[in-house]
Amino acid sequence: MNIEITDVTRRFGRTQAVAGVSLDAGPGVLGLLGPNGAGKTSLLRMLATVIPPTTGALRLLGRDPRGYTPRREIRRRLGYLPQNLGYYPGFTVTEFVEYFALLKEMPAAAVPAAVAAAIERVDLGGKARAKLRTLSGGMLRRVGIAQAIVNQPDLLLLDEPTAGLDPEQRVAFRALLRDLGQTATVIVSTHLVEDVGAACTQVAVMDAGRIVFHGTPAELTERGEGTDAAGDAPLERGYSAVLAAARASLRASA
Amino acid sequence: MNIGAARPSANSPAGFERRLEAELVTVVAERRAARPAAVPAAWVPPGHAERAAARLLRSPGLARALVTTPSLLLPWLIATTVILAAGAVATPGTGQPLVALLAPAVAAAGIAYAYGPGVDPAWELSRSMAVSDRLVLLVRALAVFGLDAALGLAASAASGAASGAAAAVTFGWLVPMTALCALALAVSAVTRSASAGMAAGLGCWAVTVLSARVADGRLTTVVSDPNLIVPYLAFAMCCAAVAMYATRIPRGA
Repeated sequence: MNIEITDVTRRFGRTQAVAGVSLDAGPGVLGLLGPNGAGKTSLLRMLATVIPPTTGALRLLGRDPRGYTPRREIRRRLGYLPQNLGYYPGFTVTEFVEYFALLKEMPAAAVPAAVAAAIERVDLGGKARAKLRTLSGGMLRRVGIAQAIVNQPDLLLLDEPTAGLDPEQRVAFRALLRDLGQTATVIVSTHLVEDVGAACTQVAVMDAGRIVFHGTPAELTERGEGTDAAGDAPLERGYSAVLAAARASLRASA
Repeated sequence: MNIGAARPSANSPAGFERRLEAELVTVVAERRAARPAAVPAAWVPPGHAERAAARLLRSPGLARALVTTPSLLLPWLIATTVILAAGAVATPGTGQPLVALLAPAVAAAGIAYAYGPGVDPAWELSRSMAVSDRLVLLVRALAVFGLDAALGLAASAASGAASGAAAAVTFGWLVPMTALCALALAVSAVTRSASAGMAAGLGCWAVTVLSARVADGRLTTVVSDPNLIVPYLAFAMCCAAVAMYATRIPRGA
């Protein structure tokens, strides 16, 4: 398993962002669905080793990220796209991707080819020399994806990767996800149910800091069958039904 | 569309989604096939300074972080040089050790803008990198300090040639400069704001200089009194400890 999460919690002051999550994941694409404030981003930030859990155990790529050396090894094999990708306006696309390739401690000799390949994979080859300040929001998102995949990560964490992408790019991105999921563990946090249906082999639904569903997209769809759950598509109805059931259960136990 | 869903009828929403997805995939594939070969990525080999830094630090990543330090970029270096040169030129005429008084403030501002949280837009991403953000901070701060100290020494020597007290002035301001840089670093790390760090450094230095002037009527006390060396160094160590604490891996609430 590339990810082993055992009863992980995370608090920010009085706010309980993640309230006891346990999850294992191997290679494949796992979609992380949930409403705003469900704890998806906090969970991804913990998996990206940006913040540690308050309690609970985390093993990434077979290592415990609390130690400096294993954390560094994890980070070499990690790709992360934060929800808010900050960027350096004066950098070109190539410079930006190269900068993070070097900070991931890729062998220097391998960096130019890897950077070129990553930029091509997000279809920005024609913009390689463009300054980031000149790019649209969707293009910047693709630059962020390029830096995340430049080291061919074994663990790829993407927070709202399709935000701002046009339909053509979203379709291309889903194909890229499916491709990456052949060998790596890819976790995609998204609000877009159709992205999950099209690209993910597994789906987890979070609500109020907990995982309230974990299964395949087909299994999530089944949860919506025969219910009056809201949604325009079967997967959306499954998602709504799971959320409604989780909230009813929470109310009953309160 | 929903992978693995029960086989939908052509008229169902799932069937429509599937046809739409298939259509989009076809369109994307056709457009890609029609597109000319993409331009190769515009990779520029690292410059001499970066290659030398990579050899010295044994890390191309650290070297790249170093050469992209905001307060090591050319406009900042030009501004620093101009300020210190102006101080050197004005010193003989005013009879005041202007370089000694300016150098700590200039270096503190540079240190505040060497660091990430308040300056680095990609700070969140940087924290997930194999090259530790703390190491990046250390290397950047040392580089800024070293460069500003060298520029200050040159300016001090130029102005000291006239006053004949270059060595005394140099040793007089290097220690306060260390203390002030440590303060700027600590404040910028704690507040996650480079501007706050710079304001703390400049404000603290202004208060110190003016307080000394009020106390004994001399501006030079803060850079010439040997009795202040130990307090300056103790203050610097405390600030460094604060900076270390502020940049530790947080344990969570």
